[in-house]
Amino acid sequence: MEARYRKTLLLKDTGALDRTKEFFNLFLERLREEGLQEEVQVVRAGDLGMYGYGLVVKILPDEYTYVNVEAKDVPKIVQTSLKKSNPVQDLLYTPREKQMRVVLKNCGEVDPESVDDYILHGGYGALKKVLTEFTPEQVIDELKTSGLRGRGGGGFPTWMKWNFARKVEAAEKYIICNGDEGDPGAYMDRSVLEGDPHAVLEGMIIAGYTVGASKGFLYIRAEYPLAIERIQRAIAQAQDYGLLGGNILGTEFQFDLEIRLGAGAFVCGEETALIASVEGKRGYPSPRPPYPSVKGLWGMPTVINNVETLANIPVIFDRGGAWFSGIGSQTAKGTKVFALTGKVKNSGLIEVPMGITLREIVYEIGGGLSEGKKLKAVQTGGPSGGVIPDKFLDTPVDYEHLMELGSIMGSGGMIVIDEEDCMVDIAKFYLNFCVDEACGKCSPGRIGTFQMRNYLQKISSGQAGEDDLDKLEAICRATKKAALCGLGQTAPNPTLSTLRFFREEYLEHIRERRCRAGKCIDLLRYKIKQEKCKRCGVCAMHCPVNAISGSREEGYRIDVEKCVKCGQCFEVCKFDAVTRE
Amino acid sequence: MVKAKINDIPVEVKQGTTILDAAKKVHVHIPVLCKHPDLDATAACGICVVKVKGSSKMLRACCTPLETGMEIITHDAELQDVRRTVVELILSNHPNDCLQCARNNNCELQKLAADFGIRQVPYDQFLRNLPEDDSTKTITLVPDKCILCGRCVDVCQNHQDVWALSFLERGIKTRISPAGDINLGESPCIRCGQCSAHCPTGAIAEHDDTRKVWQALYNQEKYCVVQIAPAVRVAIGEAFGFKDGENLTGKLYAALRRLGFRAVFDTSFGADLTVMEEASEFVQRFTHKKGKLPLITTCCPSWVDFMEKFYPDMIEHFSSAKSPHEMVGVLSKTYYAKQQNVDPEKMFMVSVMPCTSKKYEISRSNEMFSSGYQDIDVSLTTREIARMIKQAGIDFENLPEEESDHILGEYTGAGVIFGATGGVMEAALRTAHYFVTGKNVARVEFESVRGLKGVKETTVEIQGAPIRIAIAHGIGNVEYVLNKIREALAAGKEPPYHFVEVMACPGGCVGGGGQPYGVTDKLRTARAQGLYSDDENREIQYAHDNPYIKELYKKFLDAPLSEKAHELLHTKYKPRPTYKK
Amino acid sequence: MAKLTHQSLDSFRRELEENKGDWIKVGMSTCGIAAGADEVYRVINEEVQKRGLAVRVEKCGCAGMCYAEPLVEVCVEGVPRSVYGKVDKDTALKIVDKHVSGKRLVNDHVFNVKVK
Repeated sequence: MEARYRKTLLLKDTGALDRTKEFFNLFLERLREEGLQEEVQVVRAGDLGMYGYGLVVKILPDEYTYVNVEAKDVPKIVQTSLKKSNPVQDLLYTPREKQMRVVLKNCGEVDPESVDDYILHGGYGALKKVLTEFTPEQVIDELKTSGLRGRGGGGFPTWMKWNFARKVEAAEKYIICNGDEGDPGAYMDRSVLEGDPHAVLEGMIIAGYTVGASKGFLYIRAEYPLAIERIQRAIAQAQDYGLLGGNILGTEFQFDLEIRLGAGAFVCGEETALIASVEGKRGYPSPRPPYPSVKGLWGMPTVINNVETLANIPVIFDRGGAWFSGIGSQTAKGTKVFALTGKVKNSGLIEVPMGITLREIVYEIGGGLSEGKKLKAVQTGGPSGGVIPDKFLDTPVDYEHLMELGSIMGSGGMIVIDEEDCMVDIAKFYLNFCVDEACGKCSPGRIGTFQMRNYLQKISSGQAGEDDLDKLEAICRATKKAALCGLGQTAPNPTLSTLRFFREEYLEHIRERRCRAGKCIDLLRYKIKQEKCKRCGVCAMHCPVNAISGSREEGYRIDVEKCVKCGQCFEVCKFDAVTRE
Repeated sequence: MVKAKINDIPVEVKQGTTILDAAKKVHVHIPVLCKHPDLDATAACGICVVKVKGSSKMLRACCTPLETGMEIITHDAELQDVRRTVVELILSNHPNDCLQCARNNNCELQKLAADFGIRQVPYDQFLRNLPEDDSTKTITLVPDKCILCGRCVDVCQNHQDVWALSFLERGIKTRISPAGDINLGESPCIRCGQCSAHCPTGAIAEHDDTRKVWQALYNQEKYCVVQIAPAVRVAIGEAFGFKDGENLTGKLYAALRRLGFRAVFDTSFGADLTVMEEASEFVQRFTHKKGKLPLITTCCPSWVDFMEKFYPDMIEHFSSAKSPHEMVGVLSKTYYAKQQNVDPEKMFMVSVMPCTSKKYEISRSNEMFSSGYQDIDVSLTTREIARMIKQAGIDFENLPEEESDHILGEYTGAGVIFGATGGVMEAALRTAHYFVTGKNVARVEFESVRGLKGVKETTVEIQGAPIRIAIAHGIGNVEYVLNKIREALAAGKEPPYHFVEVMACPGGCVGGGGQPYGVTDKLRTARAQGLYSDDENREIQYAHDNPYIKELYKKFLDAPLSEKAHELLHTKYKPRPTYKK
Repeated sequence: MAKLTHQSLDSFRRELEENKGDWIKVGMSTCGIAAGADEVYRVINEEVQKRGLAVRVEKCGCAGMCYAEPLVEVCVEGVPRSVYGKVDKDTALKIVDKHVSGKRLVNDHVFNVKVK
């Protein structure tokens, strides 16, 4: 089929002024002058994901990208790259793709409801290779070479976990996919389950073959109905095609999968609590040892892997363990999917090689913060993690570096925090979550989290004394050491981390009863600046509790005792006379 | 064997021994709270934490097996700090009313706080303000005092198989209650009291009936009489500093008289009577083929309640004989009253039992009123009588030995061993042998029915005929026995047993829910040994040789299973719902 | 459909490759649906059917640019393969009209272009 246009020119102004339309017309005019208007289409782009590069131009199919284009460059571009097909060297920019889509390679490409589309894109090729060319020991070796570590937050070497289970002699073994992603703001696993369900299935079948299991379960939280639907469909399709069930791909191997739904408990993302839940019991964690790979579901060897870990498996066998270990850093191989959210321009799901810095992630991939906003910190690891302040933004993202700074990689939540966020408030937010989700079995977890939140509430409402900070830290220490499971052991992390790097904010809340970010409502004080007040009385009209009194002659004042800090006066004053501090 | 070090002391233990038990071997005491010697570790409280040299992680000693080469540190500055904080956290969530609590001076949490030298709880105190549940009038639940150790749930679900108690809600809101959040009285609870026997605090205690008894004792109009159960005499000493299992029958009689009881009887006499009735029943069914086999004992009211609720299809197998104390009760208000010329209306009969369930038994059906009045007015537990003795200023340790009122108090060795698991069976077999052969069995002891094994199955011979017997204690062990019976009957085969004894409490009545706190297998064995020693030292070891029993039949009852016997000493059963509306 | 074997997998895939034609993919993960992708999917389907165009309309997962949902990717012979973002009902119709039928890109919504 002949193309309608020989070349396409995309343009977008990525600077402060939006001159996109202007340049659109400039190019159209020039092309008309050269008689090329039927051969080249000029298109205004929506957003090219580049910022601060002035006027950006992209030429297709040659794939030339030009930045900081000026009006005077237009004729040169038309002549050199549109009439002919050569690049304009001094305007040329080679975009370095920071992301590397390995786990997410099929998300956005493959129709998740079609097993045919998955196969078309190379799916189940890895399974075929493993079943016909690898022994279980060889699979372990390849995984060892790859260096894959658990992506759910634990970072445990995957080959080791599989190997423990493989070596135990037992009547039954199980593979479980942990799809109970519970960290607030994290949706990596959801996207993989919804966008590329077959990759997860393929990873589980390979795991089953390696370990000697014939049954697997996908434990998916009930709050992910679309993921559940797509996995269910994928399982049925795989069964139809002989990719699950007996004689998989015509070999002797048999393996089948079932879904088990979560029931609204974050703690059931913890391995032993997950097992209890699948067994129909109360989702309480159990002491380890024994570890699930030796004694897990119904007392049998069980491999529990995170969704992302499993989605890495087919790629490793398609491209080889050596290829995989070539990506990433010394201690952390491969890529990691992050859910980049918060005060960043481009929030979304990103996949980057391990070892990339936070700065690259926030500014080059995320597009930085909105105009005029200043970065304060980046939160990683969800309710188990901590904050990395701006001064450490060049930290490489891998397991060890983040732990040194008091945070963790976690499952991939990454939240960008700016100057308008209060660190005490953030710690309180995560503790609220932990108090809500604590299972209640162990005293440090049950009472420790509750008391920690109690003190954070006191601090954020200006009712704390200075020794309350010591008490808070004592509880954090005890809970970290004596809680039964990871939920309790890591619940103090956001508090400890924010105290480590932003202690002044805590002290301000306590000593001065002031929240510099303006987030802690009880510490907010609304005042009317008399110099700016035009005495119009609009604020008083809008106050729901009649806390503002005054007159045209005397001016207006807010009664601090009556004020409920709703912020109405602040919103309606046209003269910026109401301040909030 | 595992060789390791604890606090630099070398220790050698069997594979699988926990760090807690290994430490005991080298006289190191690691503090615990939720761990009970008889139950599996739940790892809930977080107090037994220890460290391994070189690692900063803390492990729980109660459930972690000691491994070769481990160098355990049980006490250092950090461990003390963490343990203290955990205790303080628990105390911050616990009522401060020790002085008014059922476990004052006898509470595991109190002991821990005292040992740790707690003088002040630095954290804000908060109570959950949960309502008490006294709906059974037998066992009272006080959820505010519950530290969520989980022992009661473990015992009720996994050991007693009743499932009346479970965990509700989660996190800080977790509490222990019957499923469905109903009253204990509306649940399947069989009032065995094993929950209170294992509870470390005052969260579960017996319903206190001592007030009623004081009122009766100080009422000149009332004629108070009392009986004591076999298991009481070998456990009461624990409240007064005597050796485990010491037999204090004589002193008990003396103490009761000083309390003001006009007649002191012995339930062991009732046990002899039960043997007469039940052995006769057995002979009827076994030798004369009249009635269903196996015959199942019914002296345990919790067991009767369990059968009526969960296995009503087996009602025809029950012995219709009442429990021993009910027999003494009805006879006190008829036979004794007539003999002594006492108006039974003025009589107040108290039975002192190792049992909480008897509080429920004494008014559960019309048959408990066969005398024309409530046969037993109040049933007290061993714990309650110990408190009454102390309150009355009686110097128990130095009392002289006294005798019972023989008419309903003189007993044989057969009667007193009722308190141990297997005792009812042994006593009944001794008499059954005589009924069938006319001769006393050569060797009185049946070793095969003694001991703490959950289910004891054996065969004895009477005159060449094999009698298959089964003894189960702890309701969790009963299912095995009942299922075997059901299967055989359904298949039309011979029943696997002819005679079955069931005691709801592990160990039999010596381990009853009303016995002094802190029961362990060691104590159960010691108490049972006290009873077997009493049996050995008795002149008469056969129920049928008891002269007072003979006189009772001659003068009042005619013969076992006579019309009179049936009227007074036998009862009926009916199916009961497990969950009342 | 007979079950696949390790021998037939590759030939099955080659068959599928041959049958690939023009396509439109709509991002239908929860993030897309929350932004209104199901309506976009419906509109595109209806319009394609109405015009009788030989282009497959398919679903796909989250491509990562969650800030730009609803996302629609179009691969039509003779036009650069493009990813459109912030697609609403009108833009969806324009995509079918201009890009698929008219063989030219739609203004103001291109977020990315890819090599085929």
